[in-house]
Amino acid sequence: MPTERVADDNVLLEGLRHGSAEAAETLFDRFHGRIYSLAMSILKNESDAEEAVQDVFLTVVRKAHTFKGNSALYSWMYRICVNTCLMRLRGKRRSETVAIEDFMPVFTEDGMHTSLVDDWSKEVERKALEKELGQVIQKFTETLSEKYRVVFVLSDVEGLSNEETAQILGLTVPAVKSRLHRARLYLRERLTGYLREGKMEKQ
Amino acid sequence: MNCKELVYLLGDYLEGTMEEPLRQEFSLHLEMCEPCMNFLRTYDTTRILCRQIRCEEIPEEVRTRLKAFVMEKVREHNRDIEKYVEKAAIERREQVSTLLRAYAANRLSPMMAVLFQTHNDRCETCGAFLRSIDGGKSLVEMPKVPPDIEEHIAEFLEALPPGEAPTLS
Ligand SMILES: [Zn+2]
Repeated sequence: MPTERVADDNVLLEGLRHGSAEAAETLFDRFHGRIYSLAMSILKNESDAEEAVQDVFLTVVRKAHTFKGNSALYSWMYRICVNTCLMRLRGKRRSETVAIEDFMPVFTEDGMHTSLVDDWSKEVERKALEKELGQVIQKFTETLSEKYRVVFVLSDVEGLSNEETAQILGLTVPAVKSRLHRARLYLRERLTGYLREGKMEKQ
Repeated sequence: MNCKELVYLLGDYLEGTMEEPLRQEFSLHLEMCEPCMNFLRTYDTTRILCRQIRCEEIPEEVRTRLKAFVMEKVREHNRDIEKYVEKAAIERREQVSTLLRAYAANRLSPMMAVLFQTHNDRCETCGAFLRSIDGGKSLVEMPKVPPDIEEHIAEFLEALPPGEAPTLS
């Protein structure tokens, strides 16, 4: 992270502590897009995401004086956002999640693939499929349990590094890597199933 | 390296964080094993496809509503703080004047009297002010407490041990 931005963030925090409306506005302009996107990725619902974003900014404004600055401002805000979203998810009836184990690759005793592996990577490059696949992936990620989904969203959807994700979630880097890997294996398997049985085959 | 091990290491390989000897082993297996090559391609494609489900745009009306909400809450929060600061100042003024009245009426507790006297002997500003209200003057005659004296005495009060009642009941 560039030191310039850290310095910028510190100026912003100092302003917030003194109740500067200008600082609050800068904070909002700088972070609302990323926070909203993250909330949407976890909550999958516009009005829930909007309320989550409200909560995040309220918390930051009220707690600016207690923020120690040991971590970056964005990382603190992501953490607040993740916590807010998880609390919202718990308050709701959970959508159906699946046993991720059922979708892990299977190997023979000596560690070989038990079946042929389809290569559909070239087929999905067609533009026409993009939108459809987006919706399909969206649906499949919703069936991931929280444990995997949040890691997956931060790393693969939001594009944070494993280290950043680990810091935000209070996990070790190996734990992040392993959850992320399993989430990808799961989604790969589900996509394979979809592409094998879905439209692609019939064409 | 077998297929199972290779699949386990896919993340590290694609991230480019794999150590060299392991990487060579990985590539060697990959060259000879079509299922693994296909697995890698589809795993990597999955990863790339997932980036596009990111919500890139916040609807304009949501942005406007959120911004208005946040700015209003900031104003509320600041008003709360101002009120709090004001309230604290009033409380402080009352505490100081209670102490001064008790002093003027010779109603400080013995411990307090000693402590207060010690402060006033040491502090010229407070000492001079205290002498001006000395001798049991009535509350009506009490002059307005100058801000610097008030601050000194408030500080003195803040440093008292807990449980010390400043005045005789
Ligand atoms: Zn293999």
